[in-house]
Amino acid sequence: MTLGPWFDYTINGLVVGNIYALLAVGLALIYGVSHLINFAHGSVYMVGAYIGWLCITYLGTPLPVTLAAVVAGSALIGVAIERIGLRPLQGSPRIAPLLATIGIGLVLDQVMQLLFTPDPRGVALQVPAWRIQIGDGTIGALDLLIAGIGIVSAGFLYFFLRFTKLGWAVRATALDRDAAQQCGVDVNRVNMAVFAIASALGGVSGFLVGMYYNSIDPNMGYHAGLKGIIAQMIGGMGNVPGAIAGSLLLGLVESYGIAAFGTSYRNLFAFVVMILILVLKPNGIFSRGRSLPPEPLTGTFIAPSAPIRIPMWLVVMLALAALALPLIVRNGYYLQTLGIGWLYAVLAISLTLVAGTAGMISLGQAGLLAIGAYASGLLAIKLHLPVSVTIPAAGVITALLGTLIIFPSFRLRGHYVTIATLGVGEIVTLTILNWDSLTNGPVGLTGVPPLSAFGVPLLSGTWVYEIGLCALIILALLQWRLLGSHLGRTLRAIRDDDVAARSYGIALDRYKGLAFGVAGFTAGITGALMAHVFSYVNHETFTSQVSLLALTMVILGGLGNVSGAILGAVALVSLPEMFRVLAEYRMLIYGIALLLLIRFRPQGLLGTV
Amino acid sequence: MIAFRRREVLGFIACAFTPPIPALAQSKEPVLIGVTGPLTGQYAQYGAQWKKGFDVALDEINAAGGINGRPLAYVFEDSQSDPRQTVTIARKYVADERIVVEVGDFSSAASMAASPIYQAAGLVQFGFSNSHPDFTKGGDYIWSNAVNQKDEMPLLADFVRDLGLKRVAILHLNNDWGRTAKDLLVAAIKERGGDVVGSEAYLADEKDFRSAIVRARSSNPDSLALISYYPDGAQLTRQIRQAGITQPIIAGGSIYSPKFLELGGAEVNGVLTTVPFFPGDPRPQVQSFVKAFEAKFKEEPDAYNGRAYDTFILLAAVMRQFGTERKAIKEGLSKIKDVPSVVYGKVAFDSETRRVANPFVSRIEVKNGKWAAYEGGKITR
Repeated sequence: MTLGPWFDYTINGLVVGNIYALLAVGLALIYGVSHLINFAHGSVYMVGAYIGWLCITYLGTPLPVTLAAVVAGSALIGVAIERIGLRPLQGSPRIAPLLATIGIGLVLDQVMQLLFTPDPRGVALQVPAWRIQIGDGTIGALDLLIAGIGIVSAGFLYFFLRFTKLGWAVRATALDRDAAQQCGVDVNRVNMAVFAIASALGGVSGFLVGMYYNSIDPNMGYHAGLKGIIAQMIGGMGNVPGAIAGSLLLGLVESYGIAAFGTSYRNLFAFVVMILILVLKPNGIFSRGRSLPPEPLTGTFIAPSAPIRIPMWLVVMLALAALALPLIVRNGYYLQTLGIGWLYAVLAISLTLVAGTAGMISLGQAGLLAIGAYASGLLAIKLHLPVSVTIPAAGVITALLGTLIIFPSFRLRGHYVTIATLGVGEIVTLTILNWDSLTNGPVGLTGVPPLSAFGVPLLSGTWVYEIGLCALIILALLQWRLLGSHLGRTLRAIRDDDVAARSYGIALDRYKGLAFGVAGFTAGITGALMAHVFSYVNHETFTSQVSLLALTMVILGGLGNVSGAILGAVALVSLPEMFRVLAEYRMLIYGIALLLLIRFRPQGLLGTV
Repeated sequence: MIAFRRREVLGFIACAFTPPIPALAQSKEPVLIGVTGPLTGQYAQYGAQWKKGFDVALDEINAAGGINGRPLAYVFEDSQSDPRQTVTIARKYVADERIVVEVGDFSSAASMAASPIYQAAGLVQFGFSNSHPDFTKGGDYIWSNAVNQKDEMPLLADFVRDLGLKRVAILHLNNDWGRTAKDLLVAAIKERGGDVVGSEAYLADEKDFRSAIVRARSSNPDSLALISYYPDGAQLTRQIRQAGITQPIIAGGSIYSPKFLELGGAEVNGVLTTVPFFPGDPRPQVQSFVKAFEAKFKEEPDAYNGRAYDTFILLAAVMRQFGTERKAIKEGLSKIKDVPSVVYGKVAFDSETRRVANPFVSRIEVKNGKWAAYEGGKITR
């Protein structure tokens, strides 16, 4: 029986979509109730896989017992995440729980890696090994089991939400948390129940997927979680049946994308579809309306606070002291570390303009760095232009290109901006990977010339330090000047209430465009400097981890706060260096630091401006 | 088991502060090797494998009196195999006078970013996993005992030709390593009269290859070639077999690991590859290493364990003969001859290319769930 490859691509798409669905359902449930994109969901999925593996390998449990253990264990983790990680953040700005889930995910991944080593492990197959021939491919018992569990759990959720008291409470809480509480619903218990159910589902899917591929590892959760988020975005945030349909659709789109263009285009397709859905139908493909539901605004997205003012003379003194530091410190290692810290500080001030001042929490800043780095690197390598020309040119190119690709997401708000910019960042790196003729594809740019002045290469740690610092001082002054002008006031007005700002006659798109343009210029120059310092860049140099690091810096320092961003960058780049002796624990310590910060000082060290 | 792993990790941390010093040379300063490699992040398992190989080598070297009476020790800095961090670590090692030679990093991209710093400071950067053809072109302080892809891929193509395979579809990891290897393999297969009918590039974090496999199958190949590491290689093999494709699978040596068998299950039987190191190899130095390794870690060593071990044995031999000055090590590398090696038999370097002269590989296959020497001839279908 041969039905041609397109039939096989369709089946393959459905099989993969089936796997995404289990994750997407849990994410949709959590979003539906707490309006929170749970970035820790992928980590729960990974922990569930390990629980199953432990049961099979050490206790030899049969499948039903293993499943029960995975459900119980993952539900407990979910409850713990809600109780310890998220409940104390009630009443804090809504950015806090979002970042907390990112931090929790990081901590879980690192703890599991320490306990079980990063080595992938095989999970013994506990279902019959028969396979059915369909078209030219086959599907196995596990495919059917996964589909069955997906459908049964969706049915169970439907029943639970419609016909049980707790289910009604969940829906009431989802509609209006405060009103539900006033009617006597124990909102905390509802939240805890939701996290337990969603995490149990996530854990089961991790275990089944581990068995499906006969392979689990502590890093398996991040990308799986991201795919789940995209899938539920396609189906409509918080829409449980939509999440299943969205997952199948995502699987199909990826499979057809591979068929038409090749395997390396898979993720590019996934992210492009996500952006299209966000822009055209932000409520998912099954919704009627084009506009987003109003986000329940009890408290704004960003923490208001009184910023700590640093007196001008102190800033000048500190800058002079920093410039003179290489006269005392001669160790290239310390200077390099601090120099890289300055470069990250430039990145952080570029982000604090869009995230802090304009209120668009961006997780795509690494994409801007990548554009800047490649622009400058390519101009220097292919056209042999001097570095003093290529770096400012990279800034301008990034400003234009970056604003252009982020422009479609301007009318999004809150979480949606974060997800859209994350997608844009990924699209940039995946385009770099696939645009072979321009970017050398996966091989990357080797031999990017070092920073130089009048033909003399400036290679030493001292030069990295001084050039980074000068770029920082110049761009920080520029931004500080900008924020003091009417532009800064206008942007803050948009952040605090865009409806009010619009009714005062402010053209939102133009001002947001201006903010992204300046931020793109600054980030582009940072990326260009980094390319010349590292001498090598490829598509993996600027990953979403870099965007996350930049956002953490900005939040550590205080949103919209230029000196705060610099403080945050220096702290977060030099902090991991301090922990270098504890190599394996470094990322864990970093995650815990992030969580403590969100819990105890969400407005940042220096406060939001 | 879990508790054991934890102790091991803590033990290593303790080692990092107080390097193991044999009774023989308690009063002497240790000779320090600076290693950079991934201990966290997506390549973390490879750094963990390196450490096991290094530790077995150190036991052997220090039991035999270390480096002329001084113990040998190493510091391991976690770079996550990220070019930004290797550059920073390079500055650190260069400034630290106790470090006499640097080993690593894992990926060629991350290693090559740091090369200019080592070269400028005159500290040998010794990459033992850097098969990128351009790696040692960074300068006369940049050395490698990894099999250059330019040597390895023709050897793999020879194997393809000797098997009588003519129409190959390649599936490769889409990073700098996979891409370079693929281009070299395509050229080598064509030189030998074969044809490459399709090639698919996949990303390191993917697990589902069904659609990639349908594409490869549509080109109607008589065999599939994989350029993969063991986790993705095992995954690909499983899914190729589950798709009902029975053509022979031949893979680059990087899939070689006991883990490949665990993750691939029954489906990996019959997979062919070429490897520079193979614990079933009867040579005595291989067998004594395998024994020591199994006694210490209760598992069979794999390719990176073997290469890591080999690297320290080689560097110790250079330091014993030529001294522990940074410059002496560089000059020693070009002069040293006949160091016993579990990978090569005997090692000597070509002082022009700074690579090992005349590498060889063994042809092996998975037979009944075990790695075994390949004894078959042509595959007749």
